[in-house]
Amino acid sequence: MQNYLVAMAVFACFYALLALGLNLVWGMAGMINLGLVGFFAFGAYVSALATRRGGVPIVAGLVLALALTAVVGAVMAMITARLRGDYLAIITLGFSEVVRLVASNEIWLTNGTDGISGIPGPWRGRVTPETFNLVFLGVAALVVALVLAVLQRVRHSPYGRVLRAIRDDDQVAAVAGKHVIRFKVEAFALSAGVLGVAGALWGHYTSYIAPDVFVPLITIYVVLALTAGGTGNNWGAVLGAFLVVFFMEGTRFVTGAVPGLQAVQVAALREALIGVSLLVILRLRPSGLLPERLPRVAS
Amino acid sequence: MRQRGMILSRRALLGGAASAGVLASLAGVVRAQPAAIRLGTLNPLTGSGGSYGPSMRKAMEWVAQEVNAAGGVNGRQVQLFSEDDQTNPEAAVRAARKLIDIDKVAAVMGTWASAVTTAVAPLCWESKTFLTTVSGSDTITQLPHNGYLIRTQPNTHLQIGKLGEFLLSLRVKRVFTLAAQTPFAVPSQKRLQEILPRGGAETVGSVIYDKDKTTFRSEVDQALRAKPDMIYLNGYTPDCTILMKELFKAGYTGAKVAQGYAVNTKLLGQLPAEVTDGTYTATPSPAVESAGYRRLAKVLGTDDLDPYSCQCHDHISLVLLAVAHAKGEASGTAIRDHVRKISQGNGVKVDSAVEGLKLLAQGKDVNYEGASGSCDFTELGDILDCKIRFDQAQGGKFKFVKLI
Repeated sequence: MQNYLVAMAVFACFYALLALGLNLVWGMAGMINLGLVGFFAFGAYVSALATRRGGVPIVAGLVLALALTAVVGAVMAMITARLRGDYLAIITLGFSEVVRLVASNEIWLTNGTDGISGIPGPWRGRVTPETFNLVFLGVAALVVALVLAVLQRVRHSPYGRVLRAIRDDDQVAAVAGKHVIRFKVEAFALSAGVLGVAGALWGHYTSYIAPDVFVPLITIYVVLALTAGGTGNNWGAVLGAFLVVFFMEGTRFVTGAVPGLQAVQVAALREALIGVSLLVILRLRPSGLLPERLPRVAS
Repeated sequence: MRQRGMILSRRALLGGAASAGVLASLAGVVRAQPAAIRLGTLNPLTGSGGSYGPSMRKAMEWVAQEVNAAGGVNGRQVQLFSEDDQTNPEAAVRAARKLIDIDKVAAVMGTWASAVTTAVAPLCWESKTFLTTVSGSDTITQLPHNGYLIRTQPNTHLQIGKLGEFLLSLRVKRVFTLAAQTPFAVPSQKRLQEILPRGGAETVGSVIYDKDKTTFRSEVDQALRAKPDMIYLNGYTPDCTILMKELFKAGYTGAKVAQGYAVNTKLLGQLPAEVTDGTYTATPSPAVESAGYRRLAKVLGTDDLDPYSCQCHDHISLVLLAVAHAKGEASGTAIRDHVRKISQGNGVKVDSAVEGLKLLAQGKDVNYEGASGSCDFTELGDILDCKIRFDQAQGGKFKFVKLI
């Protein structure tokens, strides 16, 4: 039981990182990114290839994933600089599909749909699976804490204020003399970096990545996590992520106890329950469990 | 955009904590009595494998029921814990963690998609839980699984080897492959290139395509340019449906062969007979003549069992017999060490777990041959042999051609 809870906490940390990354671009800077899973996948592949083929240590893999995914994010942001709303959503969604297709077809690099197995994890194999889980929870929690601290700093700084200004009205921000595109590109890059680290950690934890892992459903879960937690609020992102994992796992036990259902009905009921729970939250608390409260500005 | 937020009220927090408590106690309800043999099923109930999972699980539940009704394994009842793998490696890993860590199962049975199996396998071997799978990707048994994995699905080498033999028996000369991007696309192609020249035929080209595309005009053009007399469609049902239509429209009159899971009765129902007529299909054949197959077909209420349900029927039977052979020790390691002692060798041939358990209790050796085939395994966990059944579509129906 304990091992299971630890493992689920690790998964919640991955979702928390994804939600934090999304919160930066969407919650703070107002750019929608439906290609989360593409950056997640990119980071996972960078670190997996670097550690598995390049033989670099895991920490270096994580740093590489952060850096390269940030670069990709920056390029992506420059390409889409003048797009907003639906158009940006479509392009980013397309990006994640491109990543998945490249990973499926460039077999020489990514091993295609077979995926990459045997990705190293910290002390994997040298300690019991239980200890490995605990170690990884420590690592994942530390990364979440670090990212949370950095993003909180961003949020409370004048920099964060500019991002919010761009979110609310980028023309006004431009008139006020802010270089809107530069801010957008930087925010997008930093966010992508966080998503990349989440992907890298996922690979090192489960030891296996394949294009099939990176389906758009993950993006949807993360968007739900952030909306339920509170868009614009970093703590809300973390809370929402834990909540989504709690719902995904909790429904397992609830539906199992409902008598007289076929296996398929139980599976469908589970998916329905996850959706309904989130709907209830959003009905009762439209701005999420921890709504964004703007930092006070000294006058 | 400025919003006055509420902070989480004490009542809401208490409510949340209470529901968390309810969930935790429900987990306790599901927990079994200590004496039962605990086994896990992990099938795709939703996602792209969703059409196979339900009957796979039913097959396993039925075997467990039968064994329990006959007194269990060494007097212990069998308890199944079932999860949906959602045909998604990420969801499957979470489900497997639950089966291994909370339900403490000795074996996880019936994973379907190759990516799911590869994702779940490390959890299983690390926690010494046995894994049985129907995935076909060659790389699965090459993982460092220390024996904690067997599969009943023939690998590409075996399947395509037999397909090659069949094509040679048709005396075709020029074979072109149109393959969806899957783990078996490239290995299948390589194996065909090995086999065909032995009978004077050759592969005249191949295209690997993305299966989610809605048109394959350029792929079809490329295939026809090579002037093949046989096209091998190595994909899934949706893409094969489009490909067959487009090949027909393009005026291709040569022969076609496809996997039985792709070109199935459903596909024949959707396309006019003149489009599908003459298409051969290759299906790893369950042991259709066996008593085990007939019993299972009756229980699942169909004459035409899919191979995966047959294999799952055999998974749980093998696992239970291995536990009985290990004198009732229901652990992943015991199953690993004993499964080959009841699946192959000189023992009495049995086709059901109940019958095998009876013989084992009398101290006799058994050799399990199930609904899916003879179930003999190599050191790596691959099956040694499997019959492949070839059919041909005629007038919207399948006609049996031969078994190799």
